[in-house]
Order: sequence, then C-alpha cells, then structure tokens
Amino acid sequence: MIRYGFALLLGAAFGVGSALYMAGLWPGMKPLDFGTVEIDGWRSDFAIGSEAADPYTRARVARHGLLALAKSEAVYFTTTTDSEGRALVETCDYRVTGGSMPSQWWSLTLYRQSDSMLPMNTDEALSIDATSVGRDGDAWSARVSSKQPDGERHWISSKGAEAFDLMLRLYVPSEALLADPETALTPPVVERLSCAVDAA
Amino acid sequence: MRGGRCVTRWFGPFATLIVAAIGAHWATLAFAPNVIMDRALSTLKNRGIAEHAFTTPQRIMPQTQAVVRSSPDLFYSLCRFDLSERGSELSVTMGEWPDYQSLSFFDAETNNFLTLRGTGKSVSQTVYFHAPPPDDAIGVQAPTKRGVVLIRRLAPTQKAFAAAAEAAKADACNIR
Repeated sequence: MIRYGFALLLGAAFGVGSALYMAGLWPGMKPLDFGTVEIDGWRSDFAIGSEAADPYTRARVARHGLLALAKSEAVYFTTTTDSEGRALVETCDYRVTGGSMPSQWWSLTLYRQSDSMLPMNTDEALSIDATSVGRDGDAWSARVSSKQPDGERHWISSKGAEAFDLMLRLYVPSEALLADPETALTPPVVERLSCAVDAA
Repeated sequence: MRGGRCVTRWFGPFATLIVAAIGAHWATLAFAPNVIMDRALSTLKNRGIAEHAFTTPQRIMPQTQAVVRSSPDLFYSLCRFDLSERGSELSVTMGEWPDYQSLSFFDAETNNFLTLRGTGKSVSQTVYFHAPPPDDAIGVQAPTKRGVVLIRRLAPTQKAFAAAAEAAKADACNIR
C-alpha cells in the first residue's frame, strides 16, 4: 500500500507540475517566455483575448492575458532587450525611435520585469503615446533613463525599475497587421546610449 | 523468475503513477482558468470593485496600480456581475466619449466573450445567462454566470482622465 500511495503522490505532483510548466503557469514564468509573433526582438501573443482551442493556450492566456482584449481590438508587443540583444536595465540610458504604427492609437510603457508592475517612482513619466509624440510627425524619438535628460521632449523614466521591459500597445490594429505582422509593423528601435560605470 | 516477480510487484504502482500523472495534468489545465478568474474576482471585490455597478477608478500610477501591466494612458472602469438568479439580466451602458473607448465582457474562465467599440458614441448591451427575456432584441448569452465588464477609455493626461471620469457618470451596469 505504501508503494501505491507513493506512486499516487508522485504521479499527481508530476502531473500538476508538468501542466503548470507546459501552460506557462510555473512561478516566475513571464508572458515573454511565449509568443506567437516575433519582430526584431519584440514579441506578441496573438492568442491573448481569444477563446483558444487547446487547453495549454487557454491556461496560458488566462494567467498572462487576464482582462486583455482580443487581437481585433488591441495587440501587445513587448521587448526586454535593446537593439543589440542586451537586457534593458535602469543603470543604462536608451534612445527609442520609431515611426507611424499600423493602428488607430499606440502607446509605449515601461514595466518592472520582476513583477510586471509600473516602477515605483514619482516622475510621472511612465509612457509615451501617439497623442504625445504625434505632433512631431511620423518619426519620433524618446529617451528612457532614470533621470530626466536635459532638452529631451519625450522621456520615459526607468527610475526604480531595475531590469525592465517595454510594452507597445496597438489599439484598433490594421487588418494588415493582423494578417501579416512581420510586414506591417516596424517596431521601435531601442538603442543603448550609455551605462553607469558598474553596469554590465 | 526473480525478474518476473519484480515486474509484477512494481507494475501496479507504476500504472498508478501514470494514471495519477495524466489525471492531475488534465485537471490542472481544465480548472486553471476558473481558479485564476476566481482569484481575480475576489481581488477586485476586496479592492472595492462593486457588483452590478461601475466603480470609478483612480488614475493608474505606480502608487495606485492593482493589476499587472495596467496602462497609465487609459481610464479603466470595472463592474462585476453575477447572473445566478434565474431570469436576471445585466443591462450595461457605456456613455459617450469622443476618443477611443471599448466595452468588454469577460466570463468566469477569463474569456473575452464580447467587445463593443464606442468611439464617439454611447453603447448599450444586455447580457443574460439562463434564457433571454421575451422582449430582448440585443441580448447576448454569457458563457458563465459570473464575470466582469470593463470599460477602457483613452485618457493619457490628467485633464483627459478628469473628462473621462465625468463621461463615466453616464455609464451604467444594472441587474434586473
């Protein structure tokens, strides 16, 4: 009986653990560990918001896309690295450049990687969006840094973020973006400018 | 012979392990969305999100954020619903807003079963669970009895957020 009891417990533990891992529910797993679309380091999961067919996707979407909209209404792209593949960190300054986006409205927001929350600061510079940079025409540029740079019109503060990611929201995406995202979207370029001396 | 006895001795426990693993695996996948949404609904309740009424939000700031990856550029208004009572119906109205806004419905398994865009106009929708009321022409059946209604309005500045809060006075989420 002990053998059967042990087998039952071990089997149940393995079953629960494998399901959590395969569905992306294992503690510490982030939305960026998945993604059905990847463009120049920006990843998106187009299954978010949909009534996905397979149980793994359903569970993953439930965990990482809670209360998110279906792709016909909004799509979300995220990057954790700069244009050379290095992790985004508070101790470095970045320039983000981009152009017009294939959507009715867009925004770019910085989130702390450890818990996917906004960094705890009082800079009131959490994001930029189409309404704030749109006046500059199609091409735009913004700085991401922990201190407000001199003479920079558009700034996203990374103060208190440590390691972070940038999330691009595209509301009311064009049909072309949904049909062929790799062709329709040119995502923002994140260029590292400088780092504090002790930064990696 | 000894090898044969060993196989016989461990066959039962091994079969039990396999069956338990498969059962636990599929049960976890099947119940995960419900568990996640149940916890989310409890959290919303504990944070003061009303049932059958929209709760006017605070502007999303690092100090006020409650949900992961909330956007500081959007005005979010939430209403929890429970259509357990037979014959009940949820009547929802999203007031007019000149910019982007949407009214989205989520069931108890986290599925976004309906979204209506309302840029520049007011939108109304009824939702039922058991059966449609006889005079209901626009009703939609919710997949589950419980869920959440969420209004999003584009409001990237403090001024726009204040205006969105004013527009929210025309929002309604009533059970009847």
